[in-house]
Amino acid sequence: MFSLALSSLRHRTAAFVAAFLALFLGAALVMSFGSLIDTALGTGVDTASEETLFIMGGVVGGWSLLLVVFAVTSTATLGVRQRAKEIALLKSAGAVPGQLTRMILTEVLVLALLGAALAVPLGMAGGSLVLGLLQDSGQIPAGIEHSFGAVAVGQGFGITLLSAVGASLVTARRAVRMRVTESMQEAATPPARLNGRRVGFGLLFLAGAAAQAVLTVTLGKGEGFGAQQYAGTADILFAIGLACFAPVVVRRLPLPGFGTAGALTREALRARTAPLAAVLIPIVLFIGAGVGTLYMQDLDSEASAGLLPEEGQQAVETLNYVVTGMIALFLCIMLINTLVATTAARSREFAQYRLAGATTAQVRQMVVLENLAVTVAGVVFGTLASLVTIIPFSYARTGSWLPDLDPLIYPAAVAFTAAVVFATTLLTTRRALAVPAVTAVTA
Amino acid sequence: MTNTEALRLDEVRKVHGTGSNQVVALAGVTLSLPAGTFTAVMGPSGSGKSTLLQCAAGLERPSGGRVFVAGHEMKGGETELTKFRREHIGFVFQHFNLLPALTVLQNVTLPLKLAGRRIDEARAAEILQAVGLGDRLSHRPQELSGGQQQRVAIARALVTSPSVIFADEPTGALDTRSARAVLALLQQAVRRYGQTLVMVTHDPVAAAHADSVLFLADGRLVGRMIDPTAEAVAERLTRLGDELVRKGA
Repeated sequence: MFSLALSSLRHRTAAFVAAFLALFLGAALVMSFGSLIDTALGTGVDTASEETLFIMGGVVGGWSLLLVVFAVTSTATLGVRQRAKEIALLKSAGAVPGQLTRMILTEVLVLALLGAALAVPLGMAGGSLVLGLLQDSGQIPAGIEHSFGAVAVGQGFGITLLSAVGASLVTARRAVRMRVTESMQEAATPPARLNGRRVGFGLLFLAGAAAQAVLTVTLGKGEGFGAQQYAGTADILFAIGLACFAPVVVRRLPLPGFGTAGALTREALRARTAPLAAVLIPIVLFIGAGVGTLYMQDLDSEASAGLLPEEGQQAVETLNYVVTGMIALFLCIMLINTLVATTAARSREFAQYRLAGATTAQVRQMVVLENLAVTVAGVVFGTLASLVTIIPFSYARTGSWLPDLDPLIYPAAVAFTAAVVFATTLLTTRRALAVPAVTAVTA
Repeated sequence: MTNTEALRLDEVRKVHGTGSNQVVALAGVTLSLPAGTFTAVMGPSGSGKSTLLQCAAGLERPSGGRVFVAGHEMKGGETELTKFRREHIGFVFQHFNLLPALTVLQNVTLPLKLAGRRIDEARAAEILQAVGLGDRLSHRPQELSGGQQQRVAIARALVTSPSVIFADEPTGALDTRSARAVLALLQQAVRRYGQTLVMVTHDPVAAAHADSVLFLADGRLVGRMIDPTAEAVAERLTRLGDELVRKGA
């Protein structure tokens, strides 16, 4: 089974790029902030610096940890689900469930180890970048050396391995236990069920977000970093909570008009809930966590203006934006990742539409309309999630529930998201449509 | 009806690859099929029969020669070809190619929808009734057997009343009983609805359902049989194979 797993990895290079990217970048992000804790634990670090490093490494590290676990879990799930047909074929060739589970686990382990190992240099660079900015802004003395040790390595490898293996096990168990005929059907239309477990997790995350919001306005009131610690977690938890309900949302998305393409898209929204939900989730996270964190940093900079000398103030802002940028970049790549994986997997479906008489322009229109519906829903839910951070933080930091917000950040974030979604899907669709339809249906 | 020409191929050539890797799939095929006929195309593997079907159906662009469907020349870019196909041509494939996300009825009306034509659901349901699936309108394809899925595909090909229906190994993925039912349906489409049908197959029994069989070898038409029987077709194929082996030796 080991050699089968490796040849499967080699054979399906394109499909594994998505999973690998999530693991690699996720590990690098976690390692960057983990290394700050390593640095704090080193010798010759004064107590104040130690605390600053612990807060940065623990709090921001905690946010990235949450996001990475979620990103890796959903990519790994998507990966196994897209292989339902391959699994069915192996089963019909006589593979027993144990062999299949071992094969899937071997693949995931190889990918996760490779991803985490290659992430080490990037994690080192990220950690020393943040440390350098902390020193520039005078929050810790210049003499402290960056250290990359057990915490960074342990967290980086541990988190990616655990979440990838855990997610694959759960998905694989379901795929593997099914009978061959069922798996073949599954391969045709992957279902997106809203089971009790999903609802439970969703409610748990939403409750967690509410708790963080309450903590922000109670324990975090008047505190700088204390408030950020709770508020910054709230939007992430809320976005993940909403993401758990994505399949129900997608099935109910309204889309009026747009003629033939509109009618076909409405059918697709009902029938292809799973892959569309997979796209909705990173949009909600990107808008929710991205906008939430950006405005939080913006409000924080406003509130602390005048308290620090201008140079120090600027350095703090730079630090905040770099940290936010690292997280936003990770989320953005996850979004592109998911879009490419889900669109590329549709080349056979596109070809079938073309053989039934669809022009390539009609296929593109359908893709655009589907993404339009999903993007609008993602932005609405992402905005809700970001408010769970922004409103409590504004109250804790400025005493006002109604924050005075920069009017440019939000529209810029939404426009950027839409640009990423449409550019990525249209480019991937164009590649899928470049293959003659008769060739693509047999592929 | 039988006097009008449904399909004409004029010196159609297809060459795959370039330079020294060139493979001639079709070496100049000329033929004419009257409307309302059922023609089978047979030949050994690699004889070019699938390429012939794809070029004739506008799914592949010939390297040379011209194709006419119901008197109209097939030409233009991908979009024009698609519009031409949905106007004049119906397809039945070996692997059905129904859309898993759509119901049986939606699959059948899809070509009309894509062409922006009026969707007569009653007529679509009537055709589905005729192929024996009147009670499966709201099922998804994967809830049906292979034979049933192929019958949906036939209904989909019939719904636009095309000038020619092309069937590529329509019984290739089916068991004997479902295959017979599908062949009987195809025959009916020609006899009852006056459709013109071109079917590529390697099965002499399937070919025997046609009015005539065209034999293809090395990308050329090498023979024609009217009112075929399975035995005669099988014998002819065996001889063709032997000749190829002798030529190759």
